[in-house]
This record gives sequence, C-alpha cells and structure tokens, in this order.
Amino acid sequence: MASDFLTIALSKGNLLKPTVKMLSLVGLPVEGVDEDSRNMVFTFAEPAVKYIMCRPTDVPTYVEQGAADLGIVGKDVIEEQSKDVFELADLGYGYCRFVVAGPQELQGTPLKGLNYKRAATKFPNVAERFFRSQGLQVEIIKLHGNIELAPIMGLSDIIVDIVSTGRTLRENNLVELFNIMESTTRLICNRVSYRTKHKQIQPLVELMQNTVRSGRMS
Amino acid sequence: MKNREIPKGLRDLLPEEVAVHRDMQQKAARLFTSYGYREVVTPTFEFLEVVESGTGGDIRKDLFLFMDREGGILCLRPEMTVSIARLAATHMHDLDFPQRLYYMCNVFRHVQPQRAQYREFWQLGIELLGASGVWADAEVITIAAKTLKELGLRDFKISLNQIAIFNSLLQESGLNEEDQSQIRHLVERKDLVELSRRLERMDLNDEVKESIALMPVLHGGLEILNRIPYAEHNRQASEAIQELDRIYEALKICGVIDHIVIDLGVLRGLDYYTGVVFEGYSPDLGYGLLGGGRYDNLMGHFGLDRPATGFALGLDRLALVVGQRQELPRRFLVGGKNFAAVVAEADRLRQQGCIVEMDVEGCSKEQLQCKLQGRSEYHLIYLEEEPEVNQCGQ
Repeated sequence: MASDFLTIALSKGNLLKPTVKMLSLVGLPVEGVDEDSRNMVFTFAEPAVKYIMCRPTDVPTYVEQGAADLGIVGKDVIEEQSKDVFELADLGYGYCRFVVAGPQELQGTPLKGLNYKRAATKFPNVAERFFRSQGLQVEIIKLHGNIELAPIMGLSDIIVDIVSTGRTLRENNLVELFNIMESTTRLICNRVSYRTKHKQIQPLVELMQNTVRSGRMS
Repeated sequence: MKNREIPKGLRDLLPEEVAVHRDMQQKAARLFTSYGYREVVTPTFEFLEVVESGTGGDIRKDLFLFMDREGGILCLRPEMTVSIARLAATHMHDLDFPQRLYYMCNVFRHVQPQRAQYREFWQLGIELLGASGVWADAEVITIAAKTLKELGLRDFKISLNQIAIFNSLLQESGLNEEDQSQIRHLVERKDLVELSRRLERMDLNDEVKESIALMPVLHGGLEILNRIPYAEHNRQASEAIQELDRIYEALKICGVIDHIVIDLGVLRGLDYYTGVVFEGYSPDLGYGLLGGGRYDNLMGHFGLDRPATGFALGLDRLALVVGQRQELPRRFLVGGKNFAAVVAEADRLRQQGCIVEMDVEGCSKEQLQCKLQGRSEYHLIYLEEEPEVNQCGQ
C-alpha cells in the first residue's frame, strides 16, 4: 500500500464483467483483465493501477486492512460483514434484494408470525439484525449454499437469502414474505488510503458517479 | 492445552518488541517533557459511571466490564482522556491552569481482534488542560506531528477539522436528534451512498443539503473552506472556519505545516469533542495512528469547568510501521574459573556503562567462543586466573 499504485480489489463472478466495463468507461486500463486468466494481480503502469482478483466476500477484508485501497463489491457482502470501510459510490449494477422467504403456506403471515421460527441463511448477521430490529426472536441456522433446501427438508421454517429475479425461489416452491433491503454494487475505500491517496481517488469517484448518472452502464 | 493459551486479542511482548516500545516511549517522553508536560498514571479500571459520563453512551459494547464485591460496575479503561479529566478535576482544582499532563498506559477494548487491532494496547498522549484558543490547539497538534517525526515516520499526514462547522450545519438543518445522529454517523463512516439517499428524502433546503453532502469529501488545503455554500450565512460555522484558518497559520509558524491537511469528514467517534479535531495517518498502514482534539465540556462533567485539548497515539500500530530496531547494542560476556575475578571485571565494565553478562555456567573459553559464534554484538572476555582455595565453586 505504500506504493503510488492505486490498488483495486475486484469481485470475481457475476460482477466482474460490468465492473470491467465501468473501469474502462472511467478511462482505466482493462486490457486482459479476465478471471479466466491465471493472473490474480494485474498491474498497469500508466496510470499506475493494480487490480487484484478476489472472491467477493474477501473484498471488504482486503480493503479494510489496507491490502487494497479500493474495492468493488455488492452491498449485500458489505452489509453482512460490517467492515470498517468507506462506501464512496453506488455503481448501480448487480441489483439484488435480501428477502425473508418461506413455503407457500406462510404467504400472508404477519411479521410477528415469524417469532420463534428457524431461519436458514448464508447471511447470519443481516438476518439476525433484521429480526432483532423487528423485536423478533428467530433462530438463525448458518448454511453455506443451497439455502432453499433447508425448508424443504425441514431443517428450517423460513430462509433469508438474496434474490434478483425470484426464479430460484419459485422453482423450489418458496414465496417471498418480507423484503429486508436492496443491494447494488458499491465502490469501497480504505480509511487511510482515502486520505493519503485523495488526489487519485476523489476524481475517480466523481467519474464513476457521473458514469452511473449518464446511464452508460445500462 | 488450555494452560498455554492467552485470552483472545491479547499479546505477549518479547524482548525485541519491548525494546521497540520502550525506545518509542523514551523518545516521546523526552519530547513531551521538553514542552513542560508531566506524567500521570491513573487506575487500570474505573467505575462504569465515570467512563460513560465522559464518552457518551455508545461505548459500552466495547468495554470489558466486571463487578466488585461492593456492587460497583467496573470497567477496564478504554482510553485515557476521561480518566485524566477526572483526575485533574478531583486533584488539581486548586492549582494554576493550564496544566500539562502526559501518559503512557495500556487500555482495553472489546473489539474483534485483527492486525493493528488488539484488545489490550498501549497508548501515549498528552492533555493540555485549562487553555482555550488557537495557540493551545497549535501546541498540541505540533507535538503530535513532532512525535510521529521523532519516532521515525517521514511520510505521515495529520487531517484537521473543526467539528463546529458540521454541528452548526446540523443544528441549522432543524432535523430531529435521531436524524442528526444518523447523518453524523454516515459522514463519519463516509457512507456516501446512504448519505445521499437520506438527504434526498429529507425536507431540507438545498444549500444545507449540498453542504452536508460535501463534508465527507472536502479534503485538501485551506482553499476547500471556501467551498461550503451555507457557511457564509451561519455565524457559528464561519467562526469555526476562521478558527481553522488561524490554526493553519499557527502551524506554519510551528514548522509542521507540511504534514497538515484539512479534512471536513474527520469527526472522531467520541461525543466529548467540541472544537478542532485531528487524526494522523501513515500511507504504510491502513489504520489511523493518532487522534485528538478539543474537549471543552469534559472536565465540567467531573465538577471543574475548564477547556482542554489533547491527543493519543497507538504505540502498537506505530510499532508496525516503524518496525524493528536494526542494530543490537554491544555487550560483553565475561567468563573464567575465578568467580571473584569475573564479578570484579563485570562490575568494572558496568560502571563504565557497558552491558555485561557473566558466564554463570562455568564454561571453558572454547565453549564460550562456540556459543558466541555468529553473534557479533558480543565481545568475549575470558579471565585465565585460577580460583583461590575455599572459593565457592560451581
């Protein structure tokens, strides 16, 4: 981090393609930046920038600890991890929502009907905070994938998950019960980098905000 | 084996690490003393009431709490400023002010441990009690900068702000307390996304909105102070800006201006700050190194109404940046068969100020030479004298 390079942690997966597009629209070099490449670090001399390829869930960690100055990652990940990072811009793409979902019988249940239920989720912190803020006691069961399976197999009564179109829910006969929050991709920044590299970072933030406003990303 | 573990987030410091710490402490102490500051020590734990009345409510989740058998709720000190304000208010009320105090203490916070974040860590800092005004702030900020310099940092920055600029803006906004504290939190965390959403939904005049949105991103030299649209109409804000202006000029005179930037997003987490606040950073570490500011109401909580300002610096974080001291001090190893002669020679050298170890195992010259191989900081002295009869042997 001591270098003059601006180091940006990129999320692999769905977000990578639009992220690369965003970077090129704001005039940053993106030649060869691709997750199929075996490189995990991409270095460009002019302007001096370095990209590192991370799992989305690792991006906030790299940024919080200063191993990267900036990171591009979904709000869903940021919200789950509550890391101490600055959130500088909403990049607009990668839309999804956190929802509470359950089997069709639960459709129309009031919120308080969820009291003392069991909820399976990949996002225990988001789930816990939501239920608590509603004054509910819900047992959280942390799983690592295929959350929809939990209510089918009787492991949980409901689930907390992210959905974008809702197709996966429908295919598993689950319905959305409550909306927790919406999420899009964000530009995050290390607390110290924001100060020590302000001259490099602030113009970039403004360029990205303008790009989002101009609609060129869609 | 449980008996080999230590509680989460704590550390053992080994001799090399302690040497780095002590070296930094000595340099800082010399500097503080040269400005007239005197060291104080406060208890490791305080009553919860003391800590909370000073820092405001939000700190409890970060405290180590326990009870004494008289039913008092105790807490390991999470920082030193509140304790020193209490100490000064109770023991120094009949002294002349200003009083200049410094400390070097361990403090405790129940945080998630990670690099540069420990549950017990060392702070050193100063408090200038009973002095208001620009010169006092300039003294404290200058000492902060000089401390970082003295401890070997070159490339550091200190960000300055005057929180009355932001607070008066919030007051003028007419928002309720809940909204104000949320906005404050968002500016502090630089959550620009949520901030702009909240502001959009709020019923505020555009000038105030625009000014609030600018706060977290304004960063640079004095010129940025001209970019806050509403400040011209608000007396408190324009006074605060003038004060920042004067401090900036004073810091030029003090010779530390190269390290100073203005950053209107620096608000500091603690509720007790009332005026100029600042934070110090190095590009070599992703965490802040020092923080401080003016806290004119804190001592009043303890019954002695005095203005005050100060800063605290995290020694453990600084050690990560400054790194290990390279050269080991030279030392002697004195050996021989005659214990009395060894003791006498060792004492003679110590009196000259040398570091002297004695061979207490009765090794031969060859054995000692073998032990010291590759340890160039040692100089071996082997005394060939034979022991006298009746001398205590090995």
